[in-house]
Amino acid sequence: MKTILQIALGVIAAIGGFVDIGDLVFNAQAGSSVGTPALWAVPVGVVGIMIFAEMSGRIVAVSKKPNFVLVKERYGRNLSTFTLVASLVLTVLTLSAELGGLGFVLNYFFDVSVSFFVLAALFAVAAAIYFLPFGGLERVFGYLGLALLVYIAASLKLDPDWGEIGRGFVPESHSAAVYWYFVVGLIAAALMPYEIYFYSSGAVEEGWDESDMKVNRANAFVGFGLGGLISVGILVASAQVFKPAGISPTSIGSVALIAQQPYAELGLVLALIGILFAVGGATIDTAFSAAYNLAQHQGWKWGKRFKLLDEPRFTLSLAGFLLAGFAIAETGVDPIELTEYAVIFSIPVIPLTYLPILLVGNDRNVMGEYVNGPLARVMGWAYFGLICVLALAAPVLFVATNGGG
Amino acid sequence: MRRRSIALAMLVAGAAASLAGCGGPITPDELSRSIGTLESTAAEGALLAKDVARDRTKATFARVHARDLSDVVDHEAEKLNDAQADRSDVAAAKSDAIDLADRIGTALGQIQTAPGDEGGGRTAEQALNRLSEDAGKLADGL
Repeated sequence: MKTILQIALGVIAAIGGFVDIGDLVFNAQAGSSVGTPALWAVPVGVVGIMIFAEMSGRIVAVSKKPNFVLVKERYGRNLSTFTLVASLVLTVLTLSAELGGLGFVLNYFFDVSVSFFVLAALFAVAAAIYFLPFGGLERVFGYLGLALLVYIAASLKLDPDWGEIGRGFVPESHSAAVYWYFVVGLIAAALMPYEIYFYSSGAVEEGWDESDMKVNRANAFVGFGLGGLISVGILVASAQVFKPAGISPTSIGSVALIAQQPYAELGLVLALIGILFAVGGATIDTAFSAAYNLAQHQGWKWGKRFKLLDEPRFTLSLAGFLLAGFAIAETGVDPIELTEYAVIFSIPVIPLTYLPILLVGNDRNVMGEYVNGPLARVMGWAYFGLICVLALAAPVLFVATNGGG
Repeated sequence: MRRRSIALAMLVAGAAASLAGCGGPITPDELSRSIGTLESTAAEGALLAKDVARDRTKATFARVHARDLSDVVDHEAEKLNDAQADRSDVAAAKSDAIDLADRIGTALGQIQTAPGDEGGGRTAEQALNRLSEDAGKLADGL
């Protein structure tokens, strides 16, 4: 039971990162458009984020330095400022998409208006941030987001072709640009920069030290593993429900409709609750990530472990990012489209986010006996190479496929 | 300074060329994509209507989701209406697509109005399945 409670950081970082508003729809689109042949991309992304999350948690346990402090130390003033600005643009755009998404999900329950529920979601998230301790935030949003496991159950109940699913986990060469668009998107979705900023800062919030190496490993492997499992569930269930009917899902309601097919109203309600808390978790992830990055770059006192009123600059920036996200969401912009643009903005940030983790993880002077072993070193560089390829391929495929359409 | 002016002029020319490219007549490929959206939306509406017919959904969800799907269809109809067609076969298909969008919107409206009406759900399901097939045939003919 204690271990289950200790992996909350990994669960909320993974749920908020893998299955945020954009990824939920993207996974369903991948299932309906390409189907199970794209499945192998999910574990490729999951293993990548597991490696880097474990490394960043280990760095925090040894050096007490979260990711943006590493960015600042390793890059110097100009490049770290560029990384900060790019990551803030990406994170605030994603935050506004999540708030917009919360408005849509709440409206499916009560049918008042999306705009009203975006405002209600802003107040609810702000109240949760103010009143709940960091561990409470992780547990409420992370574990209730696990209602999304209904998609695993749905994909099983829909009686899939196991041979086809097995073949889906084996990469295959393909000439269709749409196939590669979804493969690249599924891998990149696992590696969104704010996940790692939130994870490493969360490790500082929880006061990890060298005795927490096991907790770090459990968070990185189990938490992100669960996020990947849910992605697989949505993709497989969508391939079974939408692909044969020629449906291309465009909204969060379409994703909820998948769970309704095998389990009727119960499936629908579980899916909507899971989406509500996963998107709520992503809202918390993104709001905190933006405030963490700014505070760490500027050298301010930061963190939920202190009283928010004792650190006015961090608290004001957290409130400011939430309000900026709210203002964008209230313009009525489609949250799904917004996350697509956020992904485009994230492209230069992804390699810049991960490189300092790898450099510090490999640095024996900083890490001592906890320096990366040969396997972590090789896998880390291999994934960094992959991330650079993704950063180049993603915008080309986005334009070539008209955004997967 | 001169180099900066040339770069600025090239940027403006590029932007103007892009904008000019946006306003041309609709191509068969663009029309086909638009009809594809109608086909997909009608099929999704039919799936939702099937659950309404079998009392397997929440009324508020069915109403809101039917409204969302209806908005997609309305938006597509508006885009088609505003697009110019320079070939007679494309113009005819465009007109048929607008008519289809109108009928899909009407069938979705039935779910939106009475999300708890199982008989109405059955009628909407049949209509939307038929309209989705019609949209598929129209796209194939392009």
